[in-house]
Amino acid sequence: MSRERILSAIRQGKPDLQPLPDVIGFPSNIADADLADTFLTMVKTNGGIGVRANSLDDVRAQIASEYDLTLPTLSHVDGLDLNNFTPTENLRLLDDLNLVVLEGSVAVAENAAIWFNEATLGIRALPFITLNVVAVVSARNLVGTMHEVYKRIDLNTGFGTFIAGPSKTADIEQSLVIGAHGSKTMTVFLMP
Amino acid sequence: METTVRTTHHAEAAAAFLRDEENVDWHNETLWFVRSKRDKAATLLPEWEDLREQASRIKNHALSRLDDYLVELEKNAQQNGITVHWASDAEEHNRIVLDIMRQHNATQVVKSKSMLTEECHLNPYLIKHGIDVVDTDLGERIVQLRNEPPSHIVLPAIHLKKKHIGDLFHQHLGTDAGATDPQYLTEAARIHLRQKFLLADVAITGVNFAVAETGGFVVCTNEGNADLGAHLAKVHIASMGIEKVIPKGEHLGVFLRLLARSATGQTTTTYSSHFRRPAPGQTMHLILVDNGRTRQLASPDFRNSLKCIRCGACMNTCPVYRRSGGHSYHTAIAGPIGSILAPNIDMKQYADLPFASTLCGSCTNVCPVKIDIHQQLYKWRQVLGEAGAVEPAKKVGMTGMDVLFSRPSLYRFAGRAGRRLMKLFPSLANNGKLNPWAIHRDMPKPPAQSFRDWYAEQEKK
Repeated sequence: MSRERILSAIRQGKPDLQPLPDVIGFPSNIADADLADTFLTMVKTNGGIGVRANSLDDVRAQIASEYDLTLPTLSHVDGLDLNNFTPTENLRLLDDLNLVVLEGSVAVAENAAIWFNEATLGIRALPFITLNVVAVVSARNLVGTMHEVYKRIDLNTGFGTFIAGPSKTADIEQSLVIGAHGSKTMTVFLMP
Repeated sequence: METTVRTTHHAEAAAAFLRDEENVDWHNETLWFVRSKRDKAATLLPEWEDLREQASRIKNHALSRLDDYLVELEKNAQQNGITVHWASDAEEHNRIVLDIMRQHNATQVVKSKSMLTEECHLNPYLIKHGIDVVDTDLGERIVQLRNEPPSHIVLPAIHLKKKHIGDLFHQHLGTDAGATDPQYLTEAARIHLRQKFLLADVAITGVNFAVAETGGFVVCTNEGNADLGAHLAKVHIASMGIEKVIPKGEHLGVFLRLLARSATGQTTTTYSSHFRRPAPGQTMHLILVDNGRTRQLASPDFRNSLKCIRCGACMNTCPVYRRSGGHSYHTAIAGPIGSILAPNIDMKQYADLPFASTLCGSCTNVCPVKIDIHQQLYKWRQVLGEAGAVEPAKKVGMTGMDVLFSRPSLYRFAGRAGRRLMKLFPSLANNGKLNPWAIHRDMPKPPAQSFRDWYAEQEKK
């Protein structure tokens, strides 16, 4: 059986035990006071739009002015009911979605990656199939680095993803194009 | 053991690539630009070198307990509802994929970038068995439509200009004739591939990192194609080389900081997705593939290459890769790291590759997990030489030099004869047919005297 053959070949050929480093990761180079600014700068670098918002009413007003809310919209953020679309069992119908609004549980200042777990996504395909994504993140949930974020997230969920901006590609002569297969825009609202 | 093998693939293929001088210049400059972006991203982190060291040590540890971590990964993945398969070689891997497809009566599969499936030649196998397989990374789709393999592991269509892609899309996707705007062409590919995503029965992805502790795995893309495929299809098959397993979730922080910075100079990939359990109503399979990796692990000289996280930094910096193009390496993974991995799979077929390097060490300097790439290429040359797998002309030359350099008087005579010959018949020395060294260069004028003679003269003064 291949399993036994592979494991036995590893046992015969592997090197002597090499120790793991005692401490994994490095302290952040970003001061706490700069986390929000660094994060918003990185959102822009990633091709997204970063906006400070004071309240959910503020977020709602800004979304309404930026996006056509008569088009299929789904929000999974508590207190931000913008739903005019009922997903069915057939995930392929999600292809109609114009806008998905999601709450990021933790976000990383050094690269503007925002963590979405299965609970906040509801349906895994949502942020990938929609044309536009809005993320709402609290400044209290900002960390400096990828090392810190792994201390804050639970990897024991079925699925979770870091999203850092709209989808992009540079496969045609290295020209950056925003909007490959995933969302074409990503707006991030940073709440207090 | 003496074997006669054709070992000049790389040089011949590179010569063909070099005929389009403008394209070569573009290829060279573009990849150097990507390499420069990597440098900029690296220098922004004061701890960069320590980060590389940490990554290297985590990988060393993981390889030293590879059996334990694979068993742990398997156990946890199974507990999470993932079906785990083991494949000794490419053929077994492909058969497992086909069996899964048949169990689900599936005929359409979307694939996102997985160099392992390239290594296993999965596409032709599936097509032969009546499966419609579509590569969904834009660059991979482009090369698939051209019936070519990717020429770079991160930038699969880097050998093509937008004009080539415009013509290709005009022919296959019905875009306007002569259109070359990347935005327009990407939009056309998006519409075309969206249909494929929506109709696929099965999605195949690669694996960037598998975590023993959680039984899950991470897939990184910028386009979102792996996720679109995996979440919409009823069945998700993830294929990974056995060396991709790391012990714990916290180690991902180290590798994710290094991967995109080393690859393209981005601080992170747009999507870094952590799969751990199939979604309700869906099925998830994980295939653990050996295909020569245990043999590489058993070799102290070459096992270090199994630390590779497939960022492509060694290719972007390699002066040979940049000027010869990825296809000249005639293997799934081109460039310096591919030239270490390929001879392990087939020593005869890939005997030319360890020679496609200047051994300048630039690859080693940029490698995020500190693989001693140029030293391994040097070691391969010796292994191949001992196995008799070195190109005959090269071997004759080496034997000749061995004779020459070990006999000082013969060396002095040859020097005198050479200088005289070059002075009397310069066209002979510059004839590329007689002297391959002169193919791309003019030979210098011979000096009037040797350094040794000059030195002796100075001593007398």
